[in-house]
Amino acid sequence: MTMTSAVDSRLEPSEGSGRRTRSKLSRTGSGAAFVAPFLLVYVLFLVVPLVMGLVTSLTDAGLAGGRADFVGLANFAEALRDPAVWQSFGVTLVFTAVSAPLLILTGLIMALLTHHLVSARWLWRLAFFAPYVLPSSAVALIFVWVYQPEFGLADGLLAGLGADPMGWLSEPVPAMAGVVLTTIWWTAGFNFLLYLAALQAIPGDLYEASALDGASRWQQLFRITLPMLKPTTGLVAVLQVLASLKVFDQFYLITGGGPQQTTRPILQYIYESGFTHYRTGYASAISYTFFAIIFIVTLARYGKAIRRKGRPASHV
Amino acid sequence: MSDAPQRRMPRPGTLLVLAATVGLAVVWALPFVWALLTSLKPESETTQVPLRWLPSEPTLEAYRAVLGMSDLWVWLFNSVLTAGVTTVLVLLLSSMAAYGFARTEFRGRKVLLGLIVAGILVPPEVLIVPLFQEMSAFGLVDTHWGIILPQVVLPAMVYILTVFFEGLPRELEEAAVMDGASRLRIYWQIILPLSRPVLAAVGIFTFITTWNNFLWPFIVTADPDSMTLPVGLATVQGTYGVRYAEIMATVIIAGLPLLLVFVLFQRQIVRGVAFTGLAGR
Amino acid sequence: METRNPLRRRSFLAAALSSVAAVSACGDLAPGETTTSLRYWNLFSGGDGETMKKMLDSYRAAHPRVELEDVTLEWGDRYYTKLAMASAADRAPDVAILHLGRLPAFAPGGLIDPVRPDLLRQTGIRAGQFPPGLWRRSHYGNRLFAIPLDTHPFVLYYNVDVCRKAGLLDGNGRLRQLDGEQSVRSALRAAKRVTGAYGVVFESAGSEAVVPWRLFWTLYRQLDGRMFTSDGKALALHEGKLSRVLEFLQDLGRSGLSSTGMDGDAAIAQFSSGRAGFLWHGEWEVQTFLTSGTPFSMTRFPPVFGRPVAEADSHAFVLPHQEDRQAERHRLIYEFVAAMVRQSALWAEGGHIPAYLPVTESSEYAALQPQSRYRSVIDDVELDPEVWFAGSGSRLWMELSPVLGAVMDGRLSVRQGIAELREVTQRLLDTPNPTS
Repeated sequence: MTMTSAVDSRLEPSEGSGRRTRSKLSRTGSGAAFVAPFLLVYVLFLVVPLVMGLVTSLTDAGLAGGRADFVGLANFAEALRDPAVWQSFGVTLVFTAVSAPLLILTGLIMALLTHHLVSARWLWRLAFFAPYVLPSSAVALIFVWVYQPEFGLADGLLAGLGADPMGWLSEPVPAMAGVVLTTIWWTAGFNFLLYLAALQAIPGDLYEASALDGASRWQQLFRITLPMLKPTTGLVAVLQVLASLKVFDQFYLITGGGPQQTTRPILQYIYESGFTHYRTGYASAISYTFFAIIFIVTLARYGKAIRRKGRPASHV
Repeated sequence: MSDAPQRRMPRPGTLLVLAATVGLAVVWALPFVWALLTSLKPESETTQVPLRWLPSEPTLEAYRAVLGMSDLWVWLFNSVLTAGVTTVLVLLLSSMAAYGFARTEFRGRKVLLGLIVAGILVPPEVLIVPLFQEMSAFGLVDTHWGIILPQVVLPAMVYILTVFFEGLPRELEEAAVMDGASRLRIYWQIILPLSRPVLAAVGIFTFITTWNNFLWPFIVTADPDSMTLPVGLATVQGTYGVRYAEIMATVIIAGLPLLLVFVLFQRQIVRGVAFTGLAGR
Repeated sequence: METRNPLRRRSFLAAALSSVAAVSACGDLAPGETTTSLRYWNLFSGGDGETMKKMLDSYRAAHPRVELEDVTLEWGDRYYTKLAMASAADRAPDVAILHLGRLPAFAPGGLIDPVRPDLLRQTGIRAGQFPPGLWRRSHYGNRLFAIPLDTHPFVLYYNVDVCRKAGLLDGNGRLRQLDGEQSVRSALRAAKRVTGAYGVVFESAGSEAVVPWRLFWTLYRQLDGRMFTSDGKALALHEGKLSRVLEFLQDLGRSGLSSTGMDGDAAIAQFSSGRAGFLWHGEWEVQTFLTSGTPFSMTRFPPVFGRPVAEADSHAFVLPHQEDRQAERHRLIYEFVAAMVRQSALWAEGGHIPAYLPVTESSEYAALQPQSRYRSVIDDVELDPEVWFAGSGSRLWMELSPVLGAVMDGRLSVRQGIAELREVTQRLLDTPNPTS
């Protein structure tokens, strides 16, 4: 049984059968008690910090506590003037613009290749998805080692090709490229699984019919497979853009944002403002500005789904 | 189940596909293999130029050194504990809430569900600064609860489960109501058993993301004794300096638990990740 | 007694058992804890890290009832971020290392607690045992916040062979005193003639470069230049002094007397291989050159512009903020600190000058060569300006060093350099001070 058809039939049954008798069951007492525990942690650890962050962003609060004065929108005004905000946001955008398409494409290629092979599927899944189950710091340790000048694997392979060593961690462009490559290795497997699920949901008779019409494999790829994957690609793209915008671990752990902040993403700048420079209020203001951007991207995804299905639903 | 065209005899195209797949898989395995081989080298061979892939004499020296580090065991324990407790709590609290939303009526139900679904739009990453302040006010910095609690809030999981529960047939429940079963019993003995696949999917997804989460545990821990494995690996210095064989041995050890879990439960994990990933990340 | 979190023991089993308790009791007290624990954070890795371990081991041997737990975190901002966060959350260690240059970032906001002089005296540690300059910088607002372990100045390394051939040594085989711009220049010229490469090498480029700041601050302070007004609220840069310093440095590079565009590792390697007569750097590379067998010695950074001062910072012990620290705990901490500073002759092997004068003036330290050759600088060290964004590895360093390095390498004119320096410092000054 393939995954998505299983998902569709077993995990999301039609709603008709349920609706009929709701009223009868529902009258047997209050169900609020069931919702209460989750609601408590939700309020405590999502709503409260959300509100606290907004309030803090309007003050000059510092990490050490002490008096926090209301400063109005001064933090937001400063953020818009702060070259480091723009620079780190630029780094984030460049990373997203470069990594997201590559990650989607890599996942798609992996899925297409694997899907066409009958044997040893578990092996391919293992090879492509295994990096995803590693913690970011383990990945970072491997790649910092791989990117060491001269004796690292990356320079070693380049030397094998007769190329000069690259300043993987000491030059801005190679450092960004290094983090992008690391990210592809680490997380492309996730997109691969999503595509694989979608591929397995494409009805086989479509291919049979086109094969009878004499379509080649290439024609099938462009006429059936890719068009059928379009909705998945849209979804994977939004998920990937969101994930890429929120990048922190790889940069912080591999380049530390260097050389000279040329690879410092916005989340790292928020972290530094709030904790390294003790400026809690200012960091909250940048967080909120960044949140607004994420919000728009997310809304673009869910908004579409809401319009289509009448609720923020899910699968392809 | 694979579709029909592949059932035929291998064609040149198929061989090409196979070659490409093998090539890509080799590239993907390369960093792993390199890390593994490095971990088996004596320290002096790790920085040789030009590169040598194989150690002259494989040695487990690095592993012996790393496994003797008590920090590593403490981190491993913290990771198992916090990821385990988080997963159990996510499953329990989310399924309870979802049951409440899907199967009961109470004042404000729709508004609350709307509020929680809206929470999907809030990325936890933008909350680190106020969350740290809050945790330090609660005295939860450097505690397991400090690591766990914020990670329990996964509104997407409540949403996924609500949709699923809404779709379950009601006949069994009605029969149970006739027998005088309480709501708690219906939830526990009928709804949950019917939902095993989706619960497994939610649980697997939660466990992997919590186990590997770096940012929040990194923010909320300062003392190495309360760090999780990913945070400890990245933060604590000096215990091994720049001894690459030992660093790579640590990486292998750190990656092993989840890799093993993945190999053993591949089907379920692949299915669970794809399902939850698509449904509401 | 350490009772806040039972998860302090290092053994896995104890950790396992007690954290089950921690989860179920949410960090309650662990009953029956008998030994006293002491938590200490530092940022020493490499050679300093090993020396520190030795010192801690001897403390442990002498204090079997104290369970000393030491934690080493990554040097620089990462260390200070964790330390500040731990203090803010009331999870701080009992005692920690802090660069004195960072004191203005930690003391005013209450991230570290004042030292109690009465209890400190009981351990036999007194003000008079430390150089007055460092002792003053251990205070903030007239209260003592730190006990210095060392000072680590910017110094002059010289290649003995090169300098001998260049006729720069005296009868005892020591470098003749260099004094003034001309004297330094002619020594560099003489050394360059011998090496055929450089007179002096130093770090002026690279992503982590900080020598540009150290070198600039040394020379600018030799002219008694100031960066900020004494209240730390406005710029007080002196145009004439700035250009004198920067023109001197740029000219060295342009005339080939000094290296340009080198990062720290390259400069060290060049000096090590005899391609330069001199190296301008912090004293902590002494073990590197002793190990590599370079024929070298060290001395104070020469007075190029009059005052014989040199840039430095100081590793000091501080008390990260904890709610109600009892007198008993203070005593335990001061005894630990006293034990550390009294062993600092060992610490001096890494090049740092012990701040504890009974050690600095001891024959044991004097016998340590070449480390004790520059010890007299201890009264002439220039720490960073007293502002919250200064100190080792601080924003001030990281943001100014690229500008200064670019001027040294000739990528920026002196005038552009001064304009940028002014802009960067003004921006830092305009950043609302989060510690007040």
